[in-house]
Amino acid sequence: MATVLVPTMLRSLCDGAARMDAPGGTLDEVLRAADRRFPGFYARVVDAGTVRPELAVAVDGEASGFSLHEPVPPDAEVAIIPAISGG
Amino acid sequence: MTTVERSQYKVIGTRPVRPDGVEKVTGKALFGADVQPAGLIHGRVLRSPHAHARILRIDTSEAEKLPGVLAVVTHADFPKTVARVEQLGESTINTNEVGENVLASSKVLYRGHAVAAVAAASRMVADEALKHIRVDYEVLPPVLNVIDAMRDDAPILNELLRTRSMGGKVGDKPTNIAAYNQFKGGDVESAFAAADAVVEHEFTTSMVHQGYIEPQTSTANWNADDNITIWTSTQGAFGVRGLTAQILKHPISKVRVIPMEIGGGFGGKSPVYLDPVAALLSKKSGRPVKMTMSRAEVFEGTGPTSGTVIRVKAAVKDGRLTAVKADLRYEAGAFPGSSVGAGAMCMLGPYIVENFEIETYDVVVNKPKTAAYRAPGAQPAAFACESVIDELCTKLDLDPLEFRLKNSAKEGTRQVTGLPFGRIGCEEVVQAALSSPHYLSPIEGPNRGRGVASGFWFNGGMQSSVVVAVNVDGTVNLIEGSADIGGTRASLGMQLAETLSLPFEAIRTSVVDTDSIGHNDVTGGSRTTFASGMAVHEAGLDIQRQMCARAARLWGCPPEDVFYEEGVLHCRTDSTRELTFAELARQSARTGGPIVGKASLSARGAGPAYATHVVDVEVDPETGKVSILRYTAVQDAGTAIHPAYVEGQMQGAVVQGIGWALNEEYYFSEDGRMLNSSYLDYRMPTALDVPMIDTIIVEVPNPGHPYGVRGVGEVPIVPPLAAVANAIAAATGHRFTDLPISPRRVVETLHNLD
Repeated sequence: MATVLVPTMLRSLCDGAARMDAPGGTLDEVLRAADRRFPGFYARVVDAGTVRPELAVAVDGEASGFSLHEPVPPDAEVAIIPAISGG
Repeated sequence: MTTVERSQYKVIGTRPVRPDGVEKVTGKALFGADVQPAGLIHGRVLRSPHAHARILRIDTSEAEKLPGVLAVVTHADFPKTVARVEQLGESTINTNEVGENVLASSKVLYRGHAVAAVAAASRMVADEALKHIRVDYEVLPPVLNVIDAMRDDAPILNELLRTRSMGGKVGDKPTNIAAYNQFKGGDVESAFAAADAVVEHEFTTSMVHQGYIEPQTSTANWNADDNITIWTSTQGAFGVRGLTAQILKHPISKVRVIPMEIGGGFGGKSPVYLDPVAALLSKKSGRPVKMTMSRAEVFEGTGPTSGTVIRVKAAVKDGRLTAVKADLRYEAGAFPGSSVGAGAMCMLGPYIVENFEIETYDVVVNKPKTAAYRAPGAQPAAFACESVIDELCTKLDLDPLEFRLKNSAKEGTRQVTGLPFGRIGCEEVVQAALSSPHYLSPIEGPNRGRGVASGFWFNGGMQSSVVVAVNVDGTVNLIEGSADIGGTRASLGMQLAETLSLPFEAIRTSVVDTDSIGHNDVTGGSRTTFASGMAVHEAGLDIQRQMCARAARLWGCPPEDVFYEEGVLHCRTDSTRELTFAELARQSARTGGPIVGKASLSARGAGPAYATHVVDVEVDPETGKVSILRYTAVQDAGTAIHPAYVEGQMQGAVVQGIGWALNEEYYFSEDGRMLNSSYLDYRMPTALDVPMIDTIIVEVPNPGHPYGVRGVGEVPIVPPLAAVANAIAAATGHRFTDLPISPRRVVETLHNLD
């Protein structure tokens, strides 16, 4: 089962939890599982079928513009972080 | 210092002559302003004289009547578009705000904001025509810094703006605070209570410009068949294509962007300013239109960095950095989107810190919309954090580099986002600085001091496409679409040469237009040598596979019996059968036609970069002048493909950082007018101001790249601000918390002058 690292600003939605377990074989399934536990979570991360452009989702430390269909390995860590801009 | 077994490479790590050198030193290289299509006319922009004003009316009729004027455009000429937030390389942008920035509709938000544009037979006529455009303004009070902009009674730039945070809205009243975020871990207050020492300061940094030599320039030709061609100076031709298409509501396939040689960018040439306007003027006039900014327009009308206010409180216990609390307030300029998030995520990158609490504010002010500048956002945050750490070390009599080594981030260390680091070279970099001849040498004499600082930058991956064509004489053309702002034609060609075991001289690398290659994201985020290099490696392997298949057909053996080694094809089952790369290339027409390899990818596995710098300064207490006596920059490059280019990146970034620390600043009047919008008054360092910058390249290969590459172009600008400030603190005994530490500021501070 994947572990979702909850960013500070979303912890109020998740009873203060910094991490939560969420089952799923894809990023979408994991985020929807998180939403079932803490309603509203999914909409804060996903908009119009894609990760919100101001955010990035990392799977096992790799934040690489994933689609929601990205496979999530068992026991993976999924982190939601602000998108970064470079010069 | 290297942890790479260098003998495994034949081309990587060498220093061949740069492929663009001859054209540039002989003056034959074509930059954007050199474009001269038949029928060319010239465009100029009318800019707001006010920092904040409502546009009541724009009357262009008199300008249109002027002889020689062929077109006048305002925001009203843009098609109506729906606001969309899109990826522009690593950044996200709101396309409507881009449209508002390139030509304002109802409000001007900074002095220099574009209001209208004219195309005329000559630049002089266009300039004259601008004087005949009448704009009625309702002048509003401007707000010019984050502190004022965050006050409850501050003038509001955008009545519709609400503070956002992580996909949600915070508050429901008009504000200048566009975004708020937090990063929290552990228990900072308990750590502060238990600490051996705690230091807290508030720091400010001024808005500075990237200072590229070549001004923005764009030439556009809108044909009667609605195909648009744009010749431009940009770090991202595909970004220019996408944004121009979006603003003009035009099919992407009908916009062709030709990236010209570029005279510097450093992040500042990722946004668009002139391209959609030149295209619109071309459509109206039926002629190709060239627009080139003056230096003052570059300062006032393009994106500099954020001015910042940063408060940092940090604690040490038993030699460990136990807690950091910080709030970062960054100016975004006229529209939301500063680099404050990157600042927050970078400031603790070199350290293990269990307890942290960081708050960030992205704040709009009546200044130009900020843009990226090498490791955007990380430099001011490092200035603040590394200054506080320096003071903690002084207070506790700890060697600042030994402290950094003891607290160094390593593989598995969690960042403030919770992400764990992979293999990083933070410890190796600090160790190399500790053992450097510079750090081991004494610093002696009055008014002299030594400072150190570390820095971190993520580095990026993103999308790249390349094509490799094999010629019948055994030479190779490498076709790519990433603007070369720092030597990527060399670094990519060298990686292909290594992959194919060919001499570098057999490869010719060309950066082509958007019609001629698949999508490439912006040259930014220190990504091109990494990500396009990964694509080059894959394309090289593709060539190898194709050649093995052809050799197998020639020899009548299964393809798996053929292998490619050292540029020669061999048959496993018959050692007498061999073909060199060139021999098989010569037979391409008879073995299936042209041999063309390609690769397109969204690169994963970007490896973060670290730098630690050591600097000695001498401060003249009478004049306030700070002289840089000696400077050593240490950096993990992963693998230095072309070490001379890596050293150049390090040296250039250090000099820019020294300028940021000591002299550079946008200087505004109270009504928001920049008072130093020329290189005479905007003081950048020259060759006379700095010594030779010594470099030490550390190589801890990035396991996410076939050759171990990490990006190198950004992280070397992260430590200099703090390193210089720390050296000045050592020399004077005074902690300067405001940049720039200009002669005036030094004199006023040291002599207690008001």
